[in-house]
Amino acid sequence: MNVNVANLLPRVALAIGVWVVFALTDENYRRVDNFFPVFEGFALIGLVALGLSVTMLAGELDLSVGSVAAVAGIIAVKQSGLGLVPCVALAVLCTAAFGAAQGYAIARLGINSLVFTIGTLIAISGLAYVMSDEQSVLIDLNDLGLSDTITNRLWIFSPFSLTTIAAFVLVGAFLSVTRWGREIYAIGGGRNEARAAGVATVRPIVIAFTLSAGLAGLGGALASLKSGAAQPGGYDSVLLAGVTAALVGGVSLYGGRGDVLGVAVGVLTLQFLLSGLSSRGAEFYVGSLATGGLLLVVLLVELIVDRRQVLRYMRRPAFSAGEP
Amino acid sequence: MSTDRGIAAPPSGASARLVDRGDWRRFVAPAVVVVAAGGILLAGGLTTAAFLTVDNFLIIVRAASITGIVALGMTFVTISGNFFSLSVEQTAALSSIAFAESFAHGWGLLAALGCSFCAALVTGAVQGGMVAAGLNPIVTTLGVGAALYGLAAVVTNNEVVNFDTTPAVTWIGTGRPLGIPTQSWAFAIFTLLATLVLLRTRFGRETYLVGANRNAARASGISITRTTILAFTLASLAAGIAGVFTAAQITQAPLTQFSGLNIDVIAAVLVGGTALQGGEGSALRSALGAVFIALLANFMLLRDFTYGERTLVTGLIVVVATSAFHLLRTRGTR
Repeated sequence: MNVNVANLLPRVALAIGVWVVFALTDENYRRVDNFFPVFEGFALIGLVALGLSVTMLAGELDLSVGSVAAVAGIIAVKQSGLGLVPCVALAVLCTAAFGAAQGYAIARLGINSLVFTIGTLIAISGLAYVMSDEQSVLIDLNDLGLSDTITNRLWIFSPFSLTTIAAFVLVGAFLSVTRWGREIYAIGGGRNEARAAGVATVRPIVIAFTLSAGLAGLGGALASLKSGAAQPGGYDSVLLAGVTAALVGGVSLYGGRGDVLGVAVGVLTLQFLLSGLSSRGAEFYVGSLATGGLLLVVLLVELIVDRRQVLRYMRRPAFSAGEP
Repeated sequence: MSTDRGIAAPPSGASARLVDRGDWRRFVAPAVVVVAAGGILLAGGLTTAAFLTVDNFLIIVRAASITGIVALGMTFVTISGNFFSLSVEQTAALSSIAFAESFAHGWGLLAALGCSFCAALVTGAVQGGMVAAGLNPIVTTLGVGAALYGLAAVVTNNEVVNFDTTPAVTWIGTGRPLGIPTQSWAFAIFTLLATLVLLRTRFGRETYLVGANRNAARASGISITRTTILAFTLASLAAGIAGVFTAAQITQAPLTQFSGLNIDVIAAVLVGGTALQGGEGSALRSALGAVFIALLANFMLLRDFTYGERTLVTGLIVVVATSAFHLLRTRGTR
């Protein structure tokens, strides 16, 4: 894997630093047991951040992941009678198919993905409320065993967090080893150069949005099955957490730069912070303040460190020959 | 075209094309909105008895006013090529809390107005500064929005702030000069003001140029930083005004009062046809968009559409409208 060690080290240090700050002051926090809730939070936000990162690597951004996760949760909980794997697979298939269609539309229309996905964010959120009759969808009592299976504890992991780790490995391998994965980096790093070099531009965008919707769907389905209920507005905040984690993990908003190992570190940093705050009894809105604050700090740091890259984008000649 | 820049790059207009003012395409978007609004009026009048009544129109106009005022502010952000802000609903909530807290502390109306507008101005200027420095507007405002929400909750202990109203506040919130709500007067006046600023002032014309072609604007000595900061400040100020009107109307400031405003405002601007790549659009279009969204919402409400169905329809309209307007624009230049 093409891991940039110099880029990764400060991020690992930050993650450890956040953990140490809370561990020094909180006896419960530094117990090994406490890694279990951290990895449970990692499982959902990690899947969302992983998918978002792929779109960011392609130089795009998928704002609709929260709505998509909610729909996946409702599908999975409603179809829980099929059994664990089939109902999750169904939810992931539906959301991935939607993501593919969305990516195809964005690529073919040549429309800005932020503009397109803010529209689908609204529409799919409406769909979630329609599918759930505007209320929590509870899992069938006979299928409550599914929740137990997902939360079944294996040391500090659960099937849910192990699934997420497997997804990171698979997506990481896909991005760094396969040709299709490398195309995503190529169009994110410099789309005109990539096009001039003969890289297809539709396929990488379709793949990126398929992955972001499918992974958000996987996260939404598993998280909803785990809690035994799917709420139509339950995942509105995962976009903020996912973007923050991806940026902390070193994925560049300017496209083409970042790797899944960094994203994993970013998600862990965020989860160390959030679980540290909540173990001190902080209210949920302190988490919102902390996540928003962390996002802004990372943006500012990236701005200062990457001043050259930012300037290159800001001053990009509008009349260059490479422009179509 | 616009995708070539990636999401982080401030769009500098569709391949450096400046707006051709004589182009017939620029009348298509407003015309479509007007025709669609007429269609809803017709359908509503024919099928729903309560729809075409004076009382219902006042409800629609008032609903459109708050969204509309904020949409007017957002129009500056959009025309200047910075897409949209995802923090206006949190800014509105913060301003309404500042207004209510001032009254709860026994300060006068002027101090309360000063506090809430200051809160809005500062948040807007800070976001504008960050975006002008090269940060992605969407992600920046997403973070600022979350931080503002958390901050407002911490300040108020996540409780609703109540205050004792005065005759002046009651008038601001619920007055009806000539039978029309104060919010709607403000909406109409601000539509006129925003149009004048965009078309007749130097700042307005600079906003169009910065959105249409950032490099040309820089080459002609326009300060991108100043234009961006002013655009975001105006959007925030509009959100602050919406916050004050709402707090005065309900004499309290619940933190979640404005939830959904971000989406409504973006929908109004997009459906109105202001070009998301910047450089094209008008205050009147956003105002029309806001009225259209309010008409549609009211019609669906009277037809017993659920919240989910209303949101689904609004979202689909936004997707179709932005895609269609985008195609209309790019086909003409390819």
